[in-house]
Amino acid sequence: MNGAPAIRLTGVSKNYPSLTRRGRLHSLKGALLHGELWRAQQEQQGFLALSGVDVEVPPGETFAVIGPNGSGKSTLLKLVAGILRPTTGTVDVAGRVTALIELGAGFHPEISGRDNAIINGMMLGLSRAEVTNLLPEIVAFSGIEPFIDEPVKTYSSGMYVRLGFSVAVAAEPDVLVVDEILAVGDEAFAHRCLDRIAQLQRRGTAILLVSHDLGLVEQLAQRALYLKGGVPVLTGSAGAAVARYRSDVASDEAGDTKAGGTARRWGNGAVALESVELVDAAGRPLRLLSSGEPAALRIAYSVRIPQEDFVFGVAINREDGAHVFGTNTDLDGWRPERLAGDGHLALEFPRLELAPGRYVVDAAVHAKNGLAYDYACEVLSFTVTAPVGWPGTYAPRHGWRLHGPEMAPPSG
Amino acid sequence: MSSGPSRDGILLSLYRNRALVGMLVARELKARYRGTFLGYLWSLLNPLLLLGIYTVVFTYVIPARAASPFPYPLLLFSGLLPWLFGSGALLDAAIVLPDNGPLLRKVVCPPEVFPAVTVLSHLVHHLLALPILLAGIAVAAAMGLARFPWTVVLLPFALLVWVTAVGGLALAVASLAVHFRDLKDLLHNLLNLFFFATPIIYTLDQIHVPLLRRAILANPVTPLIQVYRDVVLLGELPSLLTWGWAVGVALVCWTFGAWTFSRLRETIAETV
Repeated sequence: MNGAPAIRLTGVSKNYPSLTRRGRLHSLKGALLHGELWRAQQEQQGFLALSGVDVEVPPGETFAVIGPNGSGKSTLLKLVAGILRPTTGTVDVAGRVTALIELGAGFHPEISGRDNAIINGMMLGLSRAEVTNLLPEIVAFSGIEPFIDEPVKTYSSGMYVRLGFSVAVAAEPDVLVVDEILAVGDEAFAHRCLDRIAQLQRRGTAILLVSHDLGLVEQLAQRALYLKGGVPVLTGSAGAAVARYRSDVASDEAGDTKAGGTARRWGNGAVALESVELVDAAGRPLRLLSSGEPAALRIAYSVRIPQEDFVFGVAINREDGAHVFGTNTDLDGWRPERLAGDGHLALEFPRLELAPGRYVVDAAVHAKNGLAYDYACEVLSFTVTAPVGWPGTYAPRHGWRLHGPEMAPPSG
Repeated sequence: MSSGPSRDGILLSLYRNRALVGMLVARELKARYRGTFLGYLWSLLNPLLLLGIYTVVFTYVIPARAASPFPYPLLLFSGLLPWLFGSGALLDAAIVLPDNGPLLRKVVCPPEVFPAVTVLSHLVHHLLALPILLAGIAVAAAMGLARFPWTVVLLPFALLVWVTAVGGLALAVASLAVHFRDLKDLLHNLLNLFFFATPIIYTLDQIHVPLLRRAILANPVTPLIQVYRDVVLLGELPSLLTWGWAVGVALVCWTFGAWTFSRLRETIAETV
């Protein structure tokens, strides 16, 4: 997780030229005579699909882009894939990029699945020899072996997509760009796709994912960018970005006044979180604790408009955005009755068995449909210490019992 | 990522992607005759049937007299083959980028590959038709109508010049047609005009009106077809002037095409 980012976007904007006849001729002339490539016309016409986007994705991270239709997600993906060029700003991508934007794009219907797989692989940047070596694996993964020498026009749409996916992931890219396609094929194949994605994650492939399946985003991505109308609303942990998006959708549906807020905190203000603290067994605030100690997250709130529909929730994330634990009163079975006046509540952990490291906490109070009253990201951070630097996030009490190996016990 | 061939030049990019180009050409050829009973034989049969029809028509229906010892059908055929190759490639080039829109928009793929594939697959068809022409010439020679033109060994050069010119124009046509769809229809008519303005169905010797003769000589396609027919059929070594002119035209076509294409390259993916 160190070194240069796999994907870096700096101040990226993208303007699509208008496709009126006049605009086209003008731009054609401009492009030929001055090498301007649209730029002269952009001030007056065109459609600003994306503006002011800064994103850095380190190798091995999965980064999601979410937002409503037309918010510029696909444009962002195509910029990273190198299919489009940014109007302003820079896009840097380290290593081989594979774009899963449309599976099987460019398969020729008249020739065999095998030949199409070879051509597709070469378009993804593999050499002829590499594709030939990978072909058995590709065919096996796609599960369409009996039909691989039939022309692609005889394939079902499922087979088509499976072959496309198999070729794309076989290329073992450094950067994988995925547009809304993981829900392909049947249940079994969808599982294999997710397995394969997880395998790439472990290999250090940086994955940029666009999806409307917010559950999948939370499951796969560590961090996410929430785009709206081409403008970044929030870059943060996947959980926070998804929560923000859900809250916006809910408030749009309710016809509410726009939930105000910043990138780190938003909500309609009906209920406000006054403080979020990590406290020890005696109720004293903590910033540092050792792994396995009792602790509690205490949330104090004030109510401006009394509510009958409310959920309190917290999420603990690692600093890099990876989700560690999250729960809310609804999940744990508490049914809301009335919230009026000020108060506080605590989520108690008899043993907080976290691996050593720094953690950040998001806290929220929202309606059951996701509409945020107050959602605060990274409202609290704390550090867990342990005598041993166990990796990961979970550090349960444990011990070794030996039957055979002769080993000296740890000293002390 | 590399900034692409706008700086490196189209030719270098094509060289780097030669394996992909080769595969795509093979795909074109495979797809073209897929499902037909005779398959690749059509590449031979098509020109053979064409030659047969010309022979019948111009020997018995409208007896045409050629200005060379070779029978008129062969004269016509030797001009028509390169012309059909060139015009076919250009007409396909006008639609090749929109046709491959999904690849350009959804996969990272260098666009210059597609006009190259168009030209090369037409070239392959041309090469498959050449034996028919050569066989026709050999038959005529065996019948004692004329000498077999040993200048045919120079054919690769004449063909190289022709391919360079067609390749350059194909690049220009492909990239311009993305922005200017009318180009396809315009091209159709231009090709018709040039077909008659170039010595294909006639030879230059048959034109006696000085103004007309000068106009045909000024047509830049004329030397390209002339060197081709001179070496493949007439057994004449084209003059250095004709060669020079043909090479010059080819280089201008290529430079113009490559320049236009690299200028418009970045706009292709978002416009197709």
